[in-house]
Amino acid sequence: MSVIELTNVNKSFGVDTSKIDVLQNINFSAQKGEVSLIVGPSGSGKSTFLTIAGGLQTPSSGQVVVESETMSQLSPKARDALRLRKIGFILQAYNLVPYLTVAEQFQFVDRIKTQHNLSASDLNALLQDLDIANLVKKYPSELSGGQMQRVAIARALYPDPEIILADEPTAALDSERVAVVGQLFQDLARQRDKALVVVIHDMRLEKYADHIYEILDGRMKQAS
Amino acid sequence: MFLALKEIKHEKLRYGLIIGMVLLISYLVYILSGLAFGLAQQNTQGVESWGAQRIVLDKDANTSLQQSLLTKSQTDKLTLSKSESYVGQSSVVAKGSKARNISAQFIGLDTKQYIAQDMKLTSGHQVNGANQVVVDSQFQQDGYKLGDTLKFNSKSQAYTIVGFTENAKLNIAPIIYGNLSTWRTLKNLPNSFTASGIVSKNAKYTTGITQLKSYDVHTFIQALPGYSAQNTTFTLMIGFLMVISIVVIAVFLYILTIQKLPNYAVLRAQGVPAKTLVQNTISQALLLVSGGLVLAIALTALTASVLPMGVPIGFNLPLLAVITVGIILTGILGAIIPVRLILKVDPVSVIG
Ligand SMILES: Nc1ncnc2c1ncn2[C@@H]1O[C@H](COP(=O)(O)OP(=O)(O)OP(=O)(O)O)[C@@H](O)[C@H]1O
Ligand SMILES: [Mg+2]
Repeated sequence: MSVIELTNVNKSFGVDTSKIDVLQNINFSAQKGEVSLIVGPSGSGKSTFLTIAGGLQTPSSGQVVVESETMSQLSPKARDALRLRKIGFILQAYNLVPYLTVAEQFQFVDRIKTQHNLSASDLNALLQDLDIANLVKKYPSELSGGQMQRVAIARALYPDPEIILADEPTAALDSERVAVVGQLFQDLARQRDKALVVVIHDMRLEKYADHIYEILDGRMKQAS
Repeated sequence: MFLALKEIKHEKLRYGLIIGMVLLISYLVYILSGLAFGLAQQNTQGVESWGAQRIVLDKDANTSLQQSLLTKSQTDKLTLSKSESYVGQSSVVAKGSKARNISAQFIGLDTKQYIAQDMKLTSGHQVNGANQVVVDSQFQQDGYKLGDTLKFNSKSQAYTIVGFTENAKLNIAPIIYGNLSTWRTLKNLPNSFTASGIVSKNAKYTTGITQLKSYDVHTFIQALPGYSAQNTTFTLMIGFLMVISIVVIAVFLYILTIQKLPNYAVLRAQGVPAKTLVQNTISQALLLVSGGLVLAIALTALTASVLPMGVPIGFNLPLLAVITVGIILTGILGAIIPVRLILKVDPVSVIG
């Protein structure tokens, strides 16, 4: 069953002569238990696609359905709630709260989403997998780019979302860590029945994906 | 609250400076209003210590005790109760062995009437004979002791200080209490004049004599020379200061919030409700402002305790409460103005 479904989605910015079509007639769906990889060069519309799929932006036309809820029919509040409960965003610019330590980033999640977060032992296992368990007392400014990126991944996974939308989650990682993250994503899909949608500009996660799509100048086509 | 506290803890310098700024601004407002109130008190302390409700003066005296005279033929028609007292006022220059000359207010009283009877002395005794005076404690600070003598204006008669009393100020000058015959002497008046006016504790007191008019004490105080002009000036000063402080504090909190917006955008993308972020901003503003206020109050108390006696400073709790609440509201206002920005913050703006 698809948990995210985009039908005939278009997105353009500007008007008249300065109008640019960033996404054109996108049809896409993601299922539980699968990793979908969307590959495209810089500026091809990957982030725009992901934010529309996650309800952060509204499409110029077309329809987005997430967990059987039509996004355009939800109030902004309901969209927030859906995002909080169901969607984990791993953002391109790591986006940790600068004045919270790594451990406090998770404590903060506990305050705004009081239930159904990962158990302490699951969180610990996740931090071990990502090799950041020894960083919990540090502030983001004390971390390297790759460490920040891995903390951001853990932060997004901590609320145990059904859907994980990741924007270049491996950009700052070396190939060893890329493998760890790729394996983690695959396990989340296979073992915990999550839907993962990952946009990326290279093929380094290829072997962990169930579906691969290519995006070029706002048009998407299935690669395999 | 979680984010607010953690942020303050992590950005100690930045938030320390803001607390410091609130501290300085509110300290300034507290001290200025304390000084203004202290000065205002020195106009009225004497009248207040009499528990006066009404003052009877000649109706042509322009509400001024100094200008008013009651004649014996008028007062012979009156019998004063225990709540009334004759008062004769005269401005004098007091000269003595100690210190410089002191500009003072001489108040002549009938020793059998309530003001003299009820007067609280810190030392010595009431006036009970000729050529005796009870004086404000300011004379004590200037080095006078019981038994010292004072001369008034160019008169040669010496008067002995037999008692000291506190809070005896009229028109920012210390009061010298004596009897009504001394008052007549100082004013060069014959016996056909009784006093300058009648002070009554009874809020309904009138004499029934058409030439005499009964004023309520508030009207009387407002008409004290310079009093309302002085108060208007200080009220305006403090008012302007408050308005400008409000703007400054609000601007700082506004800038603070603007700096947080990219961060808030991320949190919004992660599904953190806007309400949480708004609460966070407002509770943080409250923390900063109340922190600054607590420190300012402590500093004000300290300042008041080390100020020399000669500097009048007085604190009026309702006034302080109004100022404090005003500054707290300012803080909330400063935090609320940018709330619109928080609500509008676009999560997409932080997504590459
Ligand atoms: N708010 C906007 N206003 C105007 N143009 C925009 C806006 N957002 C994105 N675009 C344009 O849309 C195109 C796609 O942007 P997008 O961020 O989706 O690219 P991307 O594939 O994520 O690129 P990258 O790999 O560099 O992150 C770009 O040409 C960009 O300039
Ligand atoms: Mg992008």
